Amino acid sequence: MRMRLSLLLFGFLLLASPAFALDGQQILQQVDRNLEPESYESYRKLIDIQPDGSRKEYVLWTAKKGRDKVVALFLSPASDKGRVTLRLGENMWLYMPSVGKPIRITSLQSVTGSVFNNADILRIDYTAEYDVEGAEEQGDRYLLTLKAKTGDVAYDRLKMWVDKRHLLPVTIECYAASGLLLKTLHFKDIKDFGGGVKRPATLETDSPLYKGYKSVMLWSGLKKASFPDEVFTLNYLPRVEELRK
Amino acid sequence: MKRRRRGWSSWPLVLLVAAVGARADEYSFDVSQFEKKPFELNGYAELKGEDFALNRDAALYKLNYYGQPQRESLTRATETLELAGKLRQGIGSFDFRTHSAFQQDQLAHDQDNRFYEAALSLRPKAGVTLEAGKRALSWGKGYAFNPIGFVQRPKDPNDPQLAREGYVMADGDFIWNPGGALQTVALTPVLLPVTSDVNSDFGASGHPNPAFKLYALYRDTDIDFAWQGKGSRPARFGFDFARNLKTNFEIHGEWARILGAAKPVTDAMGNVTTELSNATSYLLGLRYLTEGNTTYIAELYHNGTGYSETEADQFYELVDAAFAQPQPNPMLQKALALGQGSYGRPFAGRNYFYFRAQQPDALGIVYFQPSVFAMLNLDDRSFQITPELLYTGIKNLDLRLRLYLLHGETSTDFGEKPNSRKLELYARYYF
Repeated sequence: MRMRLSLLLFGFLLLASPAFALDGQQILQQVDRNLEPESYESYRKLIDIQPDGSRKEYVLWTAKKGRDKVVALFLSPASDKGRVTLRLGENMWLYMPSVGKPIRITSLQSVTGSVFNNADILRIDYTAEYDVEGAEEQGDRYLLTLKAKTGDVAYDRLKMWVDKRHLLPVTIECYAASGLLLKTLHFKDIKDFGGGVKRPATLETDSPLYKGYKSVMLWSGLKKASFPDEVFTLNYLPRVEELRK
Repeated sequence: MKRRRRGWSSWPLVLLVAAVGARADEYSFDVSQFEKKPFELNGYAELKGEDFALNRDAALYKLNYYGQPQRESLTRATETLELAGKLRQGIGSFDFRTHSAFQQDQLAHDQDNRFYEAALSLRPKAGVTLEAGKRALSWGKGYAFNPIGFVQRPKDPNDPQLAREGYVMADGDFIWNPGGALQTVALTPVLLPVTSDVNSDFGASGHPNPAFKLYALYRDTDIDFAWQGKGSRPARFGFDFARNLKTNFEIHGEWARILGAAKPVTDAMGNVTTELSNATSYLLGLRYLTEGNTTYIAELYHNGTGYSETEADQFYELVDAAFAQPQPNPMLQKALALGQGSYGRPFAGRNYFYFRAQQPDALGIVYFQPSVFAMLNLDDRSFQITPELLYTGIKNLDLRLRLYLLHGETSTDFGEKPNSRKLELYARYYF
């Protein structure tokens, strides 16, 4: 209900003044909050589909706090069970139970070996990583052009098409600094998760770098949650499983 | 004929039904099967085959295979089972990791069953954990070597990601988040007692062996200070760090100082003296990811307790002299003892360079990762180079093929290893 009111108010503000220029930053902030509460937990399934149709699936439990603290625990398959990835701002680590210590990883790598890289799996708020360079209306959508705040961000530029009615992303194109299109994200199946969270439950991605391959991310059990700061530390990674209810 | 025609005519319907069924099932996600359970058990089973080309002129071949039928090659099969379990109750949990291996080659067979870990943990609050039992700690930022790994068994640089056996200890974890530039502080105190029955391979018995590691995340840099008090082993202290200079470029390092390290040194006649001195070990490494998704890891390692080229030469001369005489003889007994001790440990030299390159999804095949790693003894220029093929595209199954190629002149580190080549293939199934 609160979300609907805020959307109405936001829509009213956009329409009320003819002199009102599109505030891309405000749209992006609303996109962030509509996609996920600032602090939440959720389950996700990652599906990699190869050109021959064969699949590999991963299931993760994720906890996020604030704008830039995320931890993800692999629950399946058995070969990856117990792995934990942590992101604090642009710092990322991978903990493997057999190794017994976290190692630093980079946002462009993929801990699953799929089209999704670590930045996709451990995504933080867009407003934490990007500035809005441009915003324009295209029918029932806004097109936001985003530029990474620093060179440490996985994608230098994003083109984000936002559904005007729900203020949720529909398509995002991710570009390297060279202008090369790295991948395209397609958000689908808007679902009411309860607790005021209504967002796409499916994300499909394809990449010209992985022709014929497709990766899909599904959400379930997304809900607001609060966690102590100590959870988002290297020493806590072997115990992240204990946070799950 | 009629029957066949009916079959063909129904194909479009079958395909349609199959397509609809596939679509409906395409993206299903039922989280109920992933609920946390009070008891969990998982692990892996592995079958490994190894083929060794033995170097019969090498010092360590002569010592390791003394008294056994002499061979040019050896084929070994190893079956391994590792189980990891966890039992949860309130703020406590008990977890364990077992390791069982059966190994057989033309000369011998061996069976090994042990607990790598078995410990009770209590978590009264998020930032506090208390543990007691057998635990495998892993200190240090190095990929292949860890100079500050004071309370752990050394890792195998050929397989740094393998689980290792722990020590019986009491330890804790205390985490703070001060905020600001100092994002995290964590203290890990450890007591590692050694008696004739417990942790006896750690060092002299009768010592509690206190140690600690203090971790800080300061301005996006991981920093650890580590200390181990004098007891079963000489006192030592050190630090490590790791930091991303760019999103695709990480550097790390370790530095450790051992006070009064004892090192047995032999001359070519087998006269052994024990040198007591402070030893400094250090490591500097980097990890770099290219735009093409190739990862490079490089590490420079100085082993403060390692043997110089001259010291190693003396040992190899001793072995040659011992085998030049009728056996057994006193020199041979000394050479055998030294070969089973500090001279025979893997990477007993003083300066090494480690390099690894790996390319995931190579040749357009997802989950296919060729890689190569090399270990170079910087003092005598001998080296080992190991190409590797890894495929993880089948659910819960890893297939890995490796070829170890060792090269070195006489009286060099890799030239005196027991084998000059090894082919290894394993299939590991996780459950």
